[in-house]
Amino acid sequence: MPLIPDGIAVALERVRRTYGGDQSVVALDDVSAVFPRGTATAVMGPSGSGKSTLLHCAAGLDRPDSGRVRIGPTDLSSLSEKKLTELRRARVGFVFQAFNLIGALDVEQNILLPSRLAGLRPDPAWVDEVVARVGLGERLRHRPAQLSGGQQQRVAIARALVTRPEVIFCDEPTGALDTRSAAAVLDLLRSAVDAYGQTVVMVTHDPVAASCADRVLILADGRIVRDMERSSAERIAEQLALPGHRRPVATREG
Amino acid sequence: MLRLAARTLRHRKGGFLATFLALAAGVAVLMTCALLVESGWRHQGDPQRYGAAVAVVADRDLTVDGPTVLGETERTTVLLPERGSVPEKVAGELADVPGVDRAVGDRRLVVTTTAASELPTTGHGWSSTALAPYRLLSGRPPRTDGEIAVDARLSDGTGLTPGATTEVVTGGVSRTYEVSGVVDADGTASGRAALFFTDAHAAALDPRPGRYDAVGVLTAPDADRDAVLASVRRIADAAGVTAYTGDDRGLAAEPESAAARSLALGAGAAFAGYAAAIAGFVVAGTTGLSVRHRRRDLALLRAVAATPGEVRSMLLAEAGLLAALAGAVGVPAGLLATHQVRDALVSRGFLPDDFAVRGGALSAAAAVVTVAVVALLSTWIAALRVTRIRPTEALGEAAVEPVTGGRVRLICGASCVAGALSLTVLTGATDGQTALGAAMGMLYLFVLGVALLAPWINQAAARLLGPVLRTVWGNSGYLAAANLRANARGMVAVLTALVLSVGLGGTVWFLQDNLERQTVVQSREGVLAQYALTSGAGLPASAAAEARRVPGVVAATGVRRTSVVVFDRLEPQTVPAQGIDPLGADRTLDLRIRSGSLDALREGTVAVSTARADAAGWRLGDKARLWLGDGTPVTLRVVALYERGWGFGDITLHRRTLDGHTVTGLDDRVLIRTAPHAGAEGALAELARRYPGGQVVDTARLTGELAEDVAVSGWLNKMLVTVLVGYAVLAAANTLVMAALARTRELSLLRLVGVTRVQVKRMIHAEQAGLLGVALLIGAAIAAVTLTTTVRAVTGAAVPHVPAVGWATLLGGTAALALLATVVPVSRVLRTAPVEGMGVRE
Repeated sequence: MPLIPDGIAVALERVRRTYGGDQSVVALDDVSAVFPRGTATAVMGPSGSGKSTLLHCAAGLDRPDSGRVRIGPTDLSSLSEKKLTELRRARVGFVFQAFNLIGALDVEQNILLPSRLAGLRPDPAWVDEVVARVGLGERLRHRPAQLSGGQQQRVAIARALVTRPEVIFCDEPTGALDTRSAAAVLDLLRSAVDAYGQTVVMVTHDPVAASCADRVLILADGRIVRDMERSSAERIAEQLALPGHRRPVATREG
Repeated sequence: MLRLAARTLRHRKGGFLATFLALAAGVAVLMTCALLVESGWRHQGDPQRYGAAVAVVADRDLTVDGPTVLGETERTTVLLPERGSVPEKVAGELADVPGVDRAVGDRRLVVTTTAASELPTTGHGWSSTALAPYRLLSGRPPRTDGEIAVDARLSDGTGLTPGATTEVVTGGVSRTYEVSGVVDADGTASGRAALFFTDAHAAALDPRPGRYDAVGVLTAPDADRDAVLASVRRIADAAGVTAYTGDDRGLAAEPESAAARSLALGAGAAFAGYAAAIAGFVVAGTTGLSVRHRRRDLALLRAVAATPGEVRSMLLAEAGLLAALAGAVGVPAGLLATHQVRDALVSRGFLPDDFAVRGGALSAAAAVVTVAVVALLSTWIAALRVTRIRPTEALGEAAVEPVTGGRVRLICGASCVAGALSLTVLTGATDGQTALGAAMGMLYLFVLGVALLAPWINQAAARLLGPVLRTVWGNSGYLAAANLRANARGMVAVLTALVLSVGLGGTVWFLQDNLERQTVVQSREGVLAQYALTSGAGLPASAAAEARRVPGVVAATGVRRTSVVVFDRLEPQTVPAQGIDPLGADRTLDLRIRSGSLDALREGTVAVSTARADAAGWRLGDKARLWLGDGTPVTLRVVALYERGWGFGDITLHRRTLDGHTVTGLDDRVLIRTAPHAGAEGALAELARRYPGGQVVDTARLTGELAEDVAVSGWLNKMLVTVLVGYAVLAAANTLVMAALARTRELSLLRLVGVTRVQVKRMIHAEQAGLLGVALLIGAAIAAVTLTTTVRAVTGAAVPHVPAVGWATLLGGTAALALLATVVPVSRVLRTAPVEGMGVRE
């Protein structure tokens, strides 16, 4: 996919999102972020920091209360649910932590589902390459129930890659996996960025996973508190534990 | 999307089973109703008895002008219960029409031959053989009063050949006849057998002198058929009777087939109405629930690939496919059921045995389309709710839906209940069929109101029941109460189904019981005589006089049962009536006279039940216009009003008013009052022997005869209720099973948190008790209100009679089934290790 001179895959401008009626929680507090093309970004932070919300808003799965989200040249706030979905299935890939696949369909049908519903026919050579990349060539006819957790994640990634989206969002992609599968998945994501110029935004709590990224954002209480260049896992873990990023429970309660 | 839908169906077979069952059962029930209606519509009497006649002139129904509303007068046609007749001079006029070869007057006498007493037989004059036409197989036509010709059906079974003799009972008298010949005609193999007297003898025996049962018109071979028919119709209209041609001649021959037709049509249509309503509730509830249980899957689809419209299309495609499959199973099942119903109706005598189940394609289409439409509509509504929320909300681990519904639902529900309450007043103001109809309307409005208000009811009940549950079940009760409160919406379907079962079952079943009981109680209390002389063949008018001559007899009253047509304020109705000789009747009958006196009962007067007088607007001293069973209009002065209309019929006439206007001209029984310790039994038995088929019975053993239409509708209602209650309980069970299986994660979580298996089971029991308790209470309340109002309107009794056993069965049965539907799947769920259960998708 040719790069648009713009160079930005996803941009958030002063996005604000609150939940709940009486006891409202501010999930995102005036967050602005820019994700350049061809990069992998890790979004981290303690629970309740708003990282999943950031991902959902960026992907068009949720609507911010105020602010703007852009994917490529398109402003998401003006789109209806229907148009949002059409955008998502053609130009955004999403990998959830779990429950990624439709149980009724086999692996190949799951991979091709968004394209099918969008009315697109991906290049068969490209599909074969992606399938080979994720290493599931022999399991195309199997159902999700017959796959392990790691294999299911890889199918989800294949589904995300096949449409050649502008950005792939991953929510804790290695959270439910053993170290070997996790390494394989991270490797895959990294090679997507390097080989195909894919943009990846990944929410994770694992410093090892974050160390594969070009950039690490750390959120706390709905705000971005740290923006780091590619670092080692130890350094990232240190940054996460810094006071200021997470206040001790006693003080917060008081 | 269709292929995706098909794959989803195949994959999640278990989940769709409940919906499939509901749909299939719905199709089967609707198919049965529709097919019954279609068969009734296609049913024709057998015209073969009049095969040779180009037209048959007869008087089988009565057309009455209704009130003029907005310039339009509605005419209603009622079947004559006593087979109207045609004056003899009409036959003469018909014979004069050019082109007519003969106009044959057919006499029809109810006869019983001792040789074949089980075979229903009619007696005719010999000239009637020209109408079928019957041909002589052996012997010769009868020439004297003592000779008869029998048809092949009679002679086959009994060996009656020319020269044999047999006894024939007609008019309450048994006479011996010699068989002169055997005849046969095509197409008379079913229905009644026939025997033929000489014309003169038949005329002498006819209880309706000067009139024919029907006149058949035979044309000359070269006659202009259309011209003849035109003239025939003109003459018939002038005489106030009808000319039947073509297949309609069957209606002239056996008007019971018209009755069968309207029975099948009416019963089938009523059934179908109720069935469609219930099927609607059930299917809507089940499909809605199944969509809600797949929230996560659908949310994933929405997040990754499908627009809201596409998800809805997929759900609709699933529903459509399921409906088609359900049709494939339900239609044959319905066909089978219809045959069973038809057999049951025929064996009870509600339908003639030549009534056949006909057609099927039309009914099948109607049933499948209706169920499909309901399924699609309810899926669409459920899908709207699911697809409107954003994917992330549904994907969230704590997917909480609003516990109560919107305001629109609240208002709709409240209006339904208000409407139902106002119908209570309306029912109280009317009576009879109108009241029953209003009662059913009331019932359905109540149930609909409850269905709409169910989330709020569930919540309120949970709050009220909380302390009770906590006291009885301890901590498990505490959890149960919380669950009920939180899950108010999910249990709507169950609540509705259970309330419907109890409400419908309670009302309809016990209503029928009450009506029957009223009849029995009234007739038992009203008969003062200790004995009754009865006979299957009927008793002549002289029997009562003979009974009075028996020593020890204080009074004897002959009673003739018939039906008359009365115009109540809205439309003509056929009501049961009796004809009596009022001499001494005050000692044999107590009709609970409210005003006037039976002593004034004479040929131009009538006594009326209070209920009927109210309905028709008659007061003491008014001139009542009504039609006797054979269609003769009469105007009679009302001389008495009595209360026991259910036990004895709404109209009491002097027997002479009925002379010549009933089919048999005979009494049905003679009520005999003896002096105490008179020891007249022996003499009475002797009396009974004088009449063929006669016997003297203790009146304590006699029960009132329920009016035919009440009996029929009673049986049908009970069958209807059984089927529909079964269906509703199936739906409740379905929902409960689905809900239980969907709680795997929740129950696993509870166990991981520290609740033991026993405590979890007790929690489920507590929940069920709470839910069932509320449902049964509301259902019982609705049934109580509806039942009381209706019974009071129809029978005048203030408090309905409810057998304790009946209530126990209804409530106990419903409760047991619902409990089973939850306890069994939950036990199964509890068997998996909680840690595994946590990871399971819904």
